[in-house]
Amino acid sequence: MGAISKARSQAADAGKFVADWMEHRAGVITIMEHFLYEPVPKRGAWIYTLGSATLFLITLQFLTGILLLFYYVPTTDHAWNSIYYIMNEAYFGTLIRGIHYWSANFLLAVIGLHMAQVFFSGGYKAPRELNWIVGVVLLLLVVIIAFTGYALRWDQDGLWATVVGMKIGSYSPFVGAYTIQFLMGGDTIGPATLSRFFAIHVWLLPAALAPFIGIHLYLLRRHGVFGDEMEYRERMAKLQERQRLEEYEEYEDDGEPYVGRRDRADRD
Amino acid sequence: MAELQKDPMTRGDFLGFGVLGTIVGALLTIPPAAFILGPVIDVNVRGESDVPDDWFRAGHVSEVPPDEPKAFVVAFPLNQVYSERQVIEEGVDTQEQTLRNAIWTSWKDLKPPGFIAELGQNRTPGISREQVIEAQGALNVLSSSCAHLGCPVRWLVKEDGGEFLCPCHGGIYDINGAYVGGPPPRGMYRYTYEVREDGYIYVKHEFDVGGDKGSQKPFVI
Repeated sequence: MGAISKARSQAADAGKFVADWMEHRAGVITIMEHFLYEPVPKRGAWIYTLGSATLFLITLQFLTGILLLFYYVPTTDHAWNSIYYIMNEAYFGTLIRGIHYWSANFLLAVIGLHMAQVFFSGGYKAPRELNWIVGVVLLLLVVIIAFTGYALRWDQDGLWATVVGMKIGSYSPFVGAYTIQFLMGGDTIGPATLSRFFAIHVWLLPAALAPFIGIHLYLLRRHGVFGDEMEYRERMAKLQERQRLEEYEEYEDDGEPYVGRRDRADRD
Repeated sequence: MAELQKDPMTRGDFLGFGVLGTIVGALLTIPPAAFILGPVIDVNVRGESDVPDDWFRAGHVSEVPPDEPKAFVVAFPLNQVYSERQVIEEGVDTQEQTLRNAIWTSWKDLKPPGFIAELGQNRTPGISREQVIEAQGALNVLSSSCAHLGCPVRWLVKEDGGEFLCPCHGGIYDINGAYVGGPPPRGMYRYTYEVREDGYIYVKHEFDVGGDKGSQKPFVI
């Protein structure tokens, strides 16, 4: 037995130990299995990745947004300058802000594709109506986050887009004017507007977005993306049964007792 | 009803819970709600504005050319958050923030009063009382903010004169700010203005809607 293969088997043992330890105490592997494994039809399986693509882009937004906060200053006299600093002085500033900007743009496009896929495949029908509704809430949250993010640049482009957006909103019956005054922090656009848009863009709506993403994923796993609930349960049952049998076979050969369910990576 | 409940509730309990719930609920919700809705309360209940209700100097009447409009930039002081007057006075190194509005001025139908040509471009210190009234009647003092969705309109020179064009959605107005074409529902907004005997045009940060409607505050910008 060579040193490398010994080290490898030791590492595998250690990994197995950690996985077992976590599984017994927190059921981590069961949760991972439940979240990662999903039977989908072989044909056109790529279309089912649009939701994951959306989640990936939102995650990118969170991560790059947190990074940008290390330099961005939400005041009227420093906002533009701080972004200028990010773009010209900070290490990889162009990359980080570029990812934030472009993944925000792609996010809206991918959400559109994701919704189109769900719509044309009838994925919104019973029992998945609630997930469609939660999805629409997520869409609205993302749109408002995109709108408020635009103003944070505090350049001509962002400012006038914000003015136009708020004027459109102000025509809403009854609540329009009050909503816009709430957003602006007064009766004109100004320093208060930037502070408020910052608070909404960075804290309020992302904090609201996160639990709705959780509900969206929970409902997705409850009903599956494909087939009805019964079909899905049958499939999962068959899959788990097959895995169990495979494991039994393996451990019978080794003469080791069966300890717990392990994932595929452990067995190799 | 009461006997169906596992934990019977008397009328007194119900009332007690109701009163206590209302008080605790109010204590928990009113401060944060008032905290973030402050500006809406200031504007709508207390009738305050972020821009002081004063006259601000735009430009001299002699600067308005006879053949095209002229834009003056007026920096209105902005009393918002860290730009509030009290913060500026007592705070550390705070700079006053301003709302810079471009104000389009032109002579009605491009017909300036006779004395304007005599003034020349030298911003003559004063004009007479009659000239003030004459100039005031002959001026258009227009908001650059498009009546559609608020983008800044600009003067576009064409062979047969020109027009105000909004870059956002193509609203068009004539030299007097009257509606010509595009999506705007009305002509350009007119500032409340006056010409004084020093020859300067003074504006307030409000629009003269005309007739019995009086004035209204500019919205958003």
